[in-house]
Amino acid sequence: MPAKMPWAEKATFLVSRHLGIDFDYMKETVCCVRPGVWKPLNPDWWLTLTSQNLATAEKQNITIVDSCNGCYISHWECLQELKEDPEKLEMVNRNLEKAGLKVTLNVEVKHFLQVLYEDVGIEKIKENVVNPLNIRIMRHIGCHARKHDERFPRYFDEIMRATGAEIVDTPYDKTCCGLLLYFGDPNASVFNRIGVKMQTAKELDIDAYALICSGCYDQFERAVKIYKDEKGIVFETPIVHFSELLALSFGYKPEDFGMMYCRPIPPTKLMQKLKEGK
Amino acid sequence: MVSGDSEKIKSWERLFEAGLKVTAHNQAEDAKYYPLRKQFRPPAPNIAKASLKRDFEVGLVYYVGDDVEQDRALCGLDKKPPTAHVFKEALERKRKILEESGIMKELGFDKKKGLFKY
Repeated sequence: MPAKMPWAEKATFLVSRHLGIDFDYMKETVCCVRPGVWKPLNPDWWLTLTSQNLATAEKQNITIVDSCNGCYISHWECLQELKEDPEKLEMVNRNLEKAGLKVTLNVEVKHFLQVLYEDVGIEKIKENVVNPLNIRIMRHIGCHARKHDERFPRYFDEIMRATGAEIVDTPYDKTCCGLLLYFGDPNASVFNRIGVKMQTAKELDIDAYALICSGCYDQFERAVKIYKDEKGIVFETPIVHFSELLALSFGYKPEDFGMMYCRPIPPTKLMQKLKEGK
Repeated sequence: MVSGDSEKIKSWERLFEAGLKVTAHNQAEDAKYYPLRKQFRPPAPNIAKASLKRDFEVGLVYYVGDDVEQDRALCGLDKKPPTAHVFKEALERKRKILEESGIMKELGFDKKKGLFKY
């Protein structure tokens, strides 16, 4: 998120502090590490490198909260695997020891959706909505947020509906963005996954995609550029983060978090619609 | 367009080329001069090498350049992201882990030259 969508990072902080969550950047953090790159290379390497963040969080006595599904699944699955496999835990600690770190499994990993829904609660979120959003959105929750059955998708829908947004159901709601497929089969990744969703959004004339994962955002951004630069096809549906919509419904203005700088599709039409309250 | 189409995606090709550029021995190129030499699967695929190199060198697989820093400032955030870009000690620890656990060696990455052997 810090490298791809700073407007969403700012909105996430605004929303969290507005709701009274004791939320700050994790100090001494490194990349999650990207599971789609490291896990296929060697699962033990992925376990070792991901454990650096777990060990650091333990040392700082904090809970890791991820908004990106990729970061969440990397931290969460790594922790689960270390809990279930003492030999892997030993291997990881042997490697971490060289950098003066150790995992004792005394750490918790949560998704941002979980914090909002389970710790803050939907009623408190509803109480803070002062500017209901009269917009139609297409959801893109992302595959890794479906790890725990329909729990996180339900949180996403309920929170988005609390903002006043109408979620338009489509047959492609569960279709993967294709990010993890990109290295291996770029054509399928772009044209058979994300492209299908983008075409659907265009046909349904929705106001925005709402997503929560910065990995999925990366793929949307890439696909928009590929379609435009290599195919001459222009998509105009802006890709906004869940926190941006939540912030707007709490009464923040787009300029409070830099929504107008959102790439690759500026949300000009969406901001105009929200301003006019149509 | 369906999967398997021969049409190339230029941005993917650029990423692949970037991977080849950080490879000391391009096997396809070597095969022109040594046709009998058996080719093998390198420890890291060419398409992932540029991301991996960035991960080793800055602690993040994603690019953060002036444009990203400018966007961050416009959004009211610190220019440098709260990642290994600012946490130099964390990056040093990561490098130590990569080095001493043998990951760098197995991947064949020479940190001085910034190149993968194969």
